[in-house]
Amino acid sequence: MIGLIVLAIFITLIILAVLIIENNDLPHSVILFMGFGLGSVILYFIFSAPDVALTEAVIGTGVSGVVFLVTLLQIRSKEIKR
Amino acid sequence: MNLKKEIRVSTLFVSLVVSVMTILLLPIFLDFDLTSNSLGSTLLTLNKNQTSSANVVTSVVTYFRGFDTLGEVTILFLSIFGIGLGLDGYKDKLNIFAYENELLKIAVDVLFPLIILFGFYIIIHGHLSPGGGFQGGVIIASAFLLMFLAKGDSFELNHKIISLAEALSGAGFILLGVLGLILADRFFGNFLPLGSVSNLFSGGVIPLIYIFVGIKVSAEITALVEYFIRIKDVG
Repeated sequence: MIGLIVLAIFITLIILAVLIIENNDLPHSVILFMGFGLGSVILYFIFSAPDVALTEAVIGTGVSGVVFLVTLLQIRSKEIKR
Repeated sequence: MNLKKEIRVSTLFVSLVVSVMTILLLPIFLDFDLTSNSLGSTLLTLNKNQTSSANVVTSVVTYFRGFDTLGEVTILFLSIFGIGLGLDGYKDKLNIFAYENELLKIAVDVLFPLIILFGFYIIIHGHLSPGGGFQGGVIIASAFLLMFLAKGDSFELNHKIISLAEALSGAGFILLGVLGLILADRFFGNFLPLGSVSNLFSGGVIPLIYIFVGIKVSAEITALVEYFIRIKDVG
């Protein structure tokens, strides 16, 4: 039973990864990347690694997504100003 | 009528590899066993005898592999240092990520101390529950990120305090390792009384190491967020 859940999350993660790469809208892609992080948090927790899950929840879905979004905003504001 | 379509060789190869690996991995998923541990039981007995930490991952990270943690902290410090060199300074720069919202502005005054408190809880209870210095440090940095988001340019960091906290905690971290070398048997060895398992004051030097790591990581990630969030006003 738990193996099937793990398999379902794995397939979702593969689909999300393909969507992240193939997406042309970069902010949309970053949001999908944060969703990918959320899926891997559940996976780490099922594989009984709560420490890694906590790290991934804070870094993967929080700080790195915000840093990506901010960098995109910086690039765009420079493009508009020119 | 031409039904032939060009398919690249690399696409074909990748899909072939993925399907073969899926078929090979399918039996592992179907009889998934949560209790398969070969190295884990050895580490559990070692942990029971040498440290009195309730969280085995913490004692591996700080006690058995303390030198690796020193390397990780050094890598983080060097990367933030490089970002600071590349994005030259913070003066005459505007916060571009601020979002004018009354609800957020009022709520952040309540949420900011609570998130800081939660981060310190995660750091201090690193040897009792999942979490530790790195995770708690990033949680504290995320509180500062919320502050940048809500207050905009009216929120300024005191860079003297941040660099002082970063430097002192790094020095204290290495000092603990050297003290372990002198007073105990090895680098990051334990020289404090162990206490009983699952008390707050237990685990020897592990909580002290994690407090230093937590302060260092929180200062570094806060500086990183500020470097990225501020931009020179061109127009």
